[in-house]
Amino acid sequence: MSDLDDFKATYFDECSELLTELEEQFAAIESGDRSGDRLNAVFRAIHSIKGGGSAFGFSALVGFAHAYETLLDHVRDGRVELSEPVTVLCIRANDIVADFVAAARAGEELGAGYGADEKAQFDALTRGDDGDDDGAPIEEFDLDFVPVMVDLERADPPAGVAFIPVAGPGDSFAAPPLSGERGHWEIHFTPHRELYARANDPLLLFRELAALGDIQVRAELRPIPPLADFEPFGVYCSWQITLYAPSASEAEIAEVFEFVDGNCDLSIAQVGLRMAAPAPAAPVPVAEAPAAEPSAVPAAAAAEDAPLSFAALAEALRPAPKPAVDAPAPATALPPRYGGGYDGANDRRTGPEDRRATGVQSIRVDLDKIDRVVNMVGELVITQSMLTQQMDETLRARYQELVRGLEVLAQTTRGLQDSVMAIRAQPVKSVFSRMPRLMRELSARTGKKIRLETAGENTEIDKTIIEQLSDPLTHMIRNSADHGIETPEARRAAGKPETGTIRLSAEQAGGSILIVVEDDGAGINRERVLQVARDRMVVGPDQQLTDEQIDQLIFAPGFSTAEAVSDISGRGVGMDVVLSNIKKIGGSVHVRSWTGRGTRMTLRLPLTLAVLDVMLVKVAASPYVIPLSSIVETIQCARANFSRMPTGSRVLQVRGEYVQVVDLAERFEMHTDVAAESRFVVLCEAEGGVKMAVVVDDIIGQQQVVIKSLEENFQRIDGIAGGTILGDGSVALIVDVQGLRSGIAHKSAA
Amino acid sequence: MRVLTVDDSRTILAMLHHTLANAGFEVLQAEDGQQGLDVLETENVDVVITDINMPVMDGIEFIRRVRATGRHNSLPILILTTETSQDKRDQGRAAGGTGWIVKPFDPEKLINVIHRVLH
Repeated sequence: MSDLDDFKATYFDECSELLTELEEQFAAIESGDRSGDRLNAVFRAIHSIKGGGSAFGFSALVGFAHAYETLLDHVRDGRVELSEPVTVLCIRANDIVADFVAAARAGEELGAGYGADEKAQFDALTRGDDGDDDGAPIEEFDLDFVPVMVDLERADPPAGVAFIPVAGPGDSFAAPPLSGERGHWEIHFTPHRELYARANDPLLLFRELAALGDIQVRAELRPIPPLADFEPFGVYCSWQITLYAPSASEAEIAEVFEFVDGNCDLSIAQVGLRMAAPAPAAPVPVAEAPAAEPSAVPAAAAAEDAPLSFAALAEALRPAPKPAVDAPAPATALPPRYGGGYDGANDRRTGPEDRRATGVQSIRVDLDKIDRVVNMVGELVITQSMLTQQMDETLRARYQELVRGLEVLAQTTRGLQDSVMAIRAQPVKSVFSRMPRLMRELSARTGKKIRLETAGENTEIDKTIIEQLSDPLTHMIRNSADHGIETPEARRAAGKPETGTIRLSAEQAGGSILIVVEDDGAGINRERVLQVARDRMVVGPDQQLTDEQIDQLIFAPGFSTAEAVSDISGRGVGMDVVLSNIKKIGGSVHVRSWTGRGTRMTLRLPLTLAVLDVMLVKVAASPYVIPLSSIVETIQCARANFSRMPTGSRVLQVRGEYVQVVDLAERFEMHTDVAAESRFVVLCEAEGGVKMAVVVDDIIGQQQVVIKSLEENFQRIDGIAGGTILGDGSVALIVDVQGLRSGIAHKSAA
Repeated sequence: MRVLTVDDSRTILAMLHHTLANAGFEVLQAEDGQQGLDVLETENVDVVITDINMPVMDGIEFIRRVRATGRHNSLPILILTTETSQDKRDQGRAAGGTGWIVKPFDPEKLINVIHRVLH
């Protein structure tokens, strides 16, 4: 049972992939690409869903998929035009298939009429032409093989064949004890050359016949050409088989020849229906047969001598030692050795088993297994850095081999880490491909005309991040469609094209992945945002904010400027949820807006979740780490050019630019004994290129750390992105540079 | 005995693998015709089971190419299909298919069919 469950799990996995594929293909089809490849891919996806579904008996799913598949088949070969309504019907059908799959997965039944309308439409379009032989989709998957009709018209042996008439049982053949009281079957079989070309083998057919009853087989050879003219696939032989099988039906015998039907001349006839035990008349020696040429070699003999029918032919080519006619051995139950090994003179089994190639280019691995490896590699990194830290100067001088070994270990660990992370990487396509559909829904509901452009779908990113990306991205796009893009009338009035564009793109930038959602809408209404922020006391009444700071307010908790909560964006969750989701996976969000021209939201995500390059610093005797990716430079405080603003806040002047200063000791309310001038400034760059000067007590060095979630292990803290365990076992907190900034805004506002 | 299974459906590959492995076969897998050809380049197999509808290279083309190599004339190739339509099956046979298996297969039947074409 567990096997079946495993298969089901595989099947449902596969279904989700196929359904995603369907969406992708239809997105392309909708945008005008109607190439045969797309339609074929769609057809295959539905076909696979149907095929697997039938294996598990999901009959409702299979029935619907079958009708849909028939339509697709008609579309594919042009019998039905892929018009707009048909496309819409197909997209709807995809949803229904998805619903059926979901129901099957949950072990539920959808209502009996579910999808019936669409099914009726398929039938109308295909005019009930089922495409397959039988209309009933479930019965199509009959477990039985379909019996094949035998072409009796071709029963006569071709001219020129030496034909040995076969007498009834009890003739000169050393016949086995006969059980054929109800008569026997005479089968005449002449292969065509195609039969050999398709790797069918008469010998195997005889073996099968022998399973039905006792058989006698005689070969009838045609004139064999000289060896030079001999064709391996040539037809030089036909066979006369006598089958003593009391209970065998003609259908059973025909089934033996099922695979060669059409590739041979075959006649099956029941003769001498005897009611009593065989009472042989005067034996008719086969030698008396008119065409008993010496070339007639009993197939049974050939079969005994060679494992292959081809070899049997070769055997037959040798001068017959004696008239073959007198030595027909019963070929009952071909020796079992034929069921075993096979070492014919062809290309198989040449040389030792070559297993270098596994035959698969990819394997599927349970994500848990990979995660275990990722975790262990993470621990390995920590251990390795701990070892490296333990090496003081004395040890270094004394154990040079050890030092070299540690260096190699560090390198290998790094390589291992990269490789492991690469296993988890997946293209963002899987998330992006869900968006066109969302866009259709949004267009329909808002009455706005919106076009979605995507770019960089093949950018790869950690699977876990991808999984967590879908919701925030959906929300951002909803937000753009709802609040960004204007109504067609408003756009016309503003001199813009009626159709708005939302552009979704992904790219790798250094150690991060940037995902950008851009629209060409009205931009953020800053007056309104600021007003709401002041009303809700997010911003103080006198506090002045830059445009950029106002834009960023849309991510503040509980913030929503939508005048009426709309069906789409306003679902009780604001953009703050986006921010917290993104933060959870170590990313950040930045928004920029241009009034009347549009808004751009940028998600910056780490390439991987687990490991971070950081600078280790000390504040109030505790270690902290700052992500290296956000550090611009470090400056000694003694050399830094600080000044005070009229408000009392400190700023740092760097190359003519004033940068806000955050003293980590102050920020985290800790006391430090380190003299101001021996402290350091770490110049960081937050989202959107905004710099910030973070003051710390000391800089210890650069290293890699494994990120541990603070929320999972403790709770969320503003300004802290997570924790990590250092080489010496102590815990260090990861400074959230972006969070420090917003923290300032909130703090001064409060 | 080694069987090469060629199907783009992981479910089918898994079920074939289970059935065949239980029956003592060694099972190789490929997800489309091209991969199947690649496997046959380097591996010796005793029988091939292939789907018809596949991306990259479908089963019919796969069979045609296998036969066209001239090195696999006696390699039995079974066509795996849900389609009872004579049409696909005939195409597969015309390309050089030895026999066929109708999906969904019952394990015993599958093994029987393989034995029908195997020496």
